[in-house]
Amino acid sequence: MKTNTRGFRVADGLLLLLVLLPLVCGMVLKVLFTPASSDIEIAGALIYFTIPLPYGGLPITESQVNSWLVILSVFWLCLYLCHGITAQGGTKRQLLCEWIVEKTQDMVTSNMGQTFLGFAPFVAAVMALSAFSSLLSLLGLYPPTSDLNIVAGWALLVFFLITHYKLKCGPMHYLKSFAEPAPLLMPLNVISEFATPVSMAFRHYGNVLSGSVISVLVAAGLAGLSRLLLGWLPGVLGEIPFLQIGLPAILSVYFDVFSGMLQAFIFAMLTMLYIAGGFPAELYAKRQEKKAARRTKSNA
Amino acid sequence: MQSLDVISINLWQILISLCNLLILYLILKHFLYKPVQRAMAQRKAALEAQYAAAEEAERTAGETRRQWEDKMAAAQSEADQILQTAQARAQRRGSQIEAEAKERAESMVRQAQAQAELEQKKAQAGIRHEIVDVSALLAGKLLRREIKPEDHRELIDSVISEIGESDG
Repeated sequence: MKTNTRGFRVADGLLLLLVLLPLVCGMVLKVLFTPASSDIEIAGALIYFTIPLPYGGLPITESQVNSWLVILSVFWLCLYLCHGITAQGGTKRQLLCEWIVEKTQDMVTSNMGQTFLGFAPFVAAVMALSAFSSLLSLLGLYPPTSDLNIVAGWALLVFFLITHYKLKCGPMHYLKSFAEPAPLLMPLNVISEFATPVSMAFRHYGNVLSGSVISVLVAAGLAGLSRLLLGWLPGVLGEIPFLQIGLPAILSVYFDVFSGMLQAFIFAMLTMLYIAGGFPAELYAKRQEKKAARRTKSNA
Repeated sequence: MQSLDVISINLWQILISLCNLLILYLILKHFLYKPVQRAMAQRKAALEAQYAAAEEAERTAGETRRQWEDKMAAAQSEADQILQTAQARAQRRGSQIEAEAKERAESMVRQAQAQAELEQKKAQAGIRHEIVDVSALLAGKLLRREIKPEDHRELIDSVISEIGESDG
């Protein structure tokens, strides 16, 4: 594909625009629907409307919408990155996407082993969704990762995957694994089994939410301090919370950027380790061998 | 407009979020990993093909070089052989010529010896002949005359002169 034709460049620009469009939409939605308030407010995601369903109905919230926007954005980003990819390679864009692919594959193979190479896109999806969701707070949007439901959904999927791989050697082996190392410990094993997704969800959600809470508290505290110390300034100058300059930005760098990335990495890492750890690879290989031997015997 | 509580659990939201992650997984798999991996596989295949071609070229080059070396060695040995045979022939021919020359020289020497002997014999025969002639002459003269010293002298002188004449 020729990369210097007019059509290529137009498509490129269009794709970049489509990457940014969901984010802009999210900001517009935020501006349109968020009620103005000057109070310190620590609340969950905004509910746009609720679809009546059993078990509490489905509220379409800010976090849902924002995570869809992230997915859309990432989708267009993928198309943009893979636009004009060639066998020769060498362009910066192709280097970037090859770096992403190889890095995640390296990570997956080194943490989970060669058999789990197919998990690379899944791990990349976990990291991308988590990191970009957390980074949405940089744009002033509600980060979906600070909604327990969102992260719980991911953790539940990871739990299903863990259980699926634990069941690879048959349900009997799975049930027996709860009685190890001693049958007495079975309740503990069951609890730890269910604690895995819960801890994953709460860890991620709590970190991001606590970041926002601390940011809000610090900002509010600084505003109060500013009013107290600089309130004597005449006119509008007294209204401006000068002390809010500086410190919230540093906190934002830590809580929004660093902590969000870190939690994304931790979530992906735990996903890999739990899934690979739950899979009894040696036993499974043995069973497969036995099965193959039986099949050849029955064929002969 | 209402907000959710800070901690709220809703089954549908959890399920939707789960599906969201699955959807993003499929998106990444389909639109990022697949094309990139295809491109990388193509490049790898092209590289391998190039390597194979280079190896093949190297192999054929080595083969031709070996062939040429063999040919060169063969030519060298052939040249050596030709030289050797030529040398041997030249040597043989030289010795032949030498032998012929020697033989001829020997034959010439033999001929010359034979001739010399013949000459000698001839000369001896001539001398003997002369001596016989002289003695015959002398005897004739002796028989014809009495011997006197003066006469003898005269006679001898005459004989000698005669000899000298006949010699000369």
